[in-house]
Amino acid sequence: MSDLFLIYKNLTRKPLRLFLTVFATFIAFLIYGTITGFQNALDSGVELSADDRLVTVNKINFTQPLPISYVNKVKAIEGVQGVVHMNWFGGYYQDPSQFLQTFAVDEKAFLEVYDEITLTEEETKAWLQNNQAIIVGDTSAEKYGWKVGDRIPVGSNIFSQADGSSVWDFDIVGIYKGRDRQTDTTSVYIHYKYFNETQSFGGNYIGWMGVRTVDPKLNEQVIKRIDDMFVNSPFETETVPEKAFQKAFIAQIGNIGLILTSVVAAAFFIILVIVGNSMVLSVRERTAEIGVMKTLGFRSGRIFRLVLGESVLLALVGGGLGIFASLFAMAAINQSPTPLPDMLLDSAAVQTAFAYAAILGLVTGIIPAISALRLNIITALTRA
Amino acid sequence: MSGIFSQIKAVVMMNVRSLPRRLWMSLAAIFAVSVVVAVLLSFLSMARGFQQTLEGTGSEDVAIVTRSGSRSELNSSLSRETANIISTAPGIAQDGKGDPIYSAELYVIVDGIKRASQTEANLPMRGISVEGFDLRDQVSITEGRVFIPGNNEIIVGEGVLREFDGFELGKKIRFGKTEWEVVGVFSTGGSAFESELWADARTVQTQFQRGGFQTVRVRLAETGNVSGLIQMVEQDPRLILDVETEADYFAEQGEALGAIVIIGWIISGVMALGSLAGALNTMYTSVSSRAVEIATLRALGFSNFSAFVGTLAESIVLSVVGGVLGALISFGFMDGLSASTMGASFTQVVFTFELTPELFQDGIFLALLIGVIGGFFPAWRAARLPVAIAFQRGN
Repeated sequence: MSDLFLIYKNLTRKPLRLFLTVFATFIAFLIYGTITGFQNALDSGVELSADDRLVTVNKINFTQPLPISYVNKVKAIEGVQGVVHMNWFGGYYQDPSQFLQTFAVDEKAFLEVYDEITLTEEETKAWLQNNQAIIVGDTSAEKYGWKVGDRIPVGSNIFSQADGSSVWDFDIVGIYKGRDRQTDTTSVYIHYKYFNETQSFGGNYIGWMGVRTVDPKLNEQVIKRIDDMFVNSPFETETVPEKAFQKAFIAQIGNIGLILTSVVAAAFFIILVIVGNSMVLSVRERTAEIGVMKTLGFRSGRIFRLVLGESVLLALVGGGLGIFASLFAMAAINQSPTPLPDMLLDSAAVQTAFAYAAILGLVTGIIPAISALRLNIITALTRA
Repeated sequence: MSGIFSQIKAVVMMNVRSLPRRLWMSLAAIFAVSVVVAVLLSFLSMARGFQQTLEGTGSEDVAIVTRSGSRSELNSSLSRETANIISTAPGIAQDGKGDPIYSAELYVIVDGIKRASQTEANLPMRGISVEGFDLRDQVSITEGRVFIPGNNEIIVGEGVLREFDGFELGKKIRFGKTEWEVVGVFSTGGSAFESELWADARTVQTQFQRGGFQTVRVRLAETGNVSGLIQMVEQDPRLILDVETEADYFAEQGEALGAIVIIGWIISGVMALGSLAGALNTMYTSVSSRAVEIATLRALGFSNFSAFVGTLAESIVLSVVGGVLGALISFGFMDGLSASTMGASFTQVVFTFELTPELFQDGIFLALLIGVIGGFFPAWRAARLPVAIAFQRGN
């Protein structure tokens, strides 16, 4: 009889118990998979940040303005390849509660610095020519049913026009796609010039600048050059790599990583307790049988491996099913219009999950396996 | 009838008393339930704490006036002229001298270093006048003194002090070119204002190059009655404003973590399925280990209903113990925990987790649900156990 067959027979001896323990493992890994995918989506802003891109903001806070004259000064700095200035528009579509992430940008520089935003040649041309143009991400286009050629009203909860209206009309000239699957495609972009000429607050202020360096190696020097240039001016700057900026932004929400890790730990603790106990019990029920096997000449080491194999197999089956189910759960969530990028599990994450399942199997099986290993034939047979 | 009850009572007591015999399996069920309940209550107490902080901030006696459609203080802007017009609206309470009680305030965002992450986060800095203090209940200076108008001085809320570095009394902070000194710490009884830095309105206007204000707050002559203000806004075409009571304004912001409640229930609901499997496992094991006992009782004339109730009761006891344990764990770790998150005004709101009695009930409810379902099917089996076969198996 092969060991695998013995393990299989032992596992399926009590189908109900097998089902319940596999199910508990399944649930824990379903949670693990989905949460890992969620974390991945959340981190995608950091992960997809370009290494050669910096963000220059007002040193007081990134919501404070900078003068537009800074743009040309930064462009002239050695090591800088491109600079785009951006303004937060405070946009919404139709109703103020229907938040639409809208940025007013330098239309030409924007496409150069943020090259993960992809438009067709025709769309690019239209975007550059029409000052009332708006480009929208395909996620938002799908959500609101927008097509190229539509003229849409975009409201602002900050700015208003000279006539007091806080709604602007724009021509959709392009629906951009993201270069990466997780690139943000919910935002929309408009021309800064048109925005600034029509808004009634006045002033030539920009929100912040995206700066592309010639080489990521030059980042530190460029950062220093930019910030030194404006030191002691009424508008001091703070320049950081895009990655750091994104990280700090997510940290503003709170320690989400800690929350997610705690949830996963809790889920794993549950199965540890349930499956571990179940394994102890099922081996104890088999005391006499193990005694017989030892009498028949089964070596202790082999029995140890049989028990451990049983618990590992159980964890791998339950874990595998859970991860598989989490892929479906994520696909379903990705289909629905969420502001979050797609949730993904890459192959490395799947491998980690299986590693966890294997560890879990070893941990839950180790105590009964050792007691089976140590079991003395005489005690085993008398206890029965 | 009393026969059935005494039977049930006897069986339940027997089951519960024999629990230590099945110690490990019983503990597994208890722990599994306790973890689920702890997870649920941790999420719920977070959302509740945030909501209570914001709801406790707004007053029914104060109206807040913002630019129409701005939805938050940060996005709003009002000119000096508008602020003056608002102060003449009917329905505003008056002070002893017959002047309207109102406060025109600025709201700008500055950086603070969050202790937990050591990263920069958005802190609201409010330009306010000492008269503005009167529009908030329970403002008290707990350390130092109030800022002197015209000086670059700030007072910081207790929440800021708790969650952010570098705002201790006497510290100097640079915002742009100017340096500000922390001259006092204030408390507002745990409300969201404690997440703010306060400075003199005119000084903030000068140092941040701002002409107008963000909001105007007025004390209402009659609690909750904003009709006078609304009427004036509707009639004057120069005023494109939203008026609402401060209580309504903050209640809306308190809903920002509503999604956490849903997420908490979904995660713990899915986890509950896992621990339900554990409960079922424990109870089926319990039934099969008590097979002889159950059969004996049945042979003695106990009804199968008493066997059913006995098993169900055992399961419920285990899960309720687990639920209470989980609630206590959550209470111990979470209740009173201070945290800060991004609020609707794009600034940090410092709040404390609140594990209220209602939430405790929610936790016990979830535990009971697991106990009842996890006990029902095994109890069914116990009730239908054929007596003869049970004896055979026992031998």
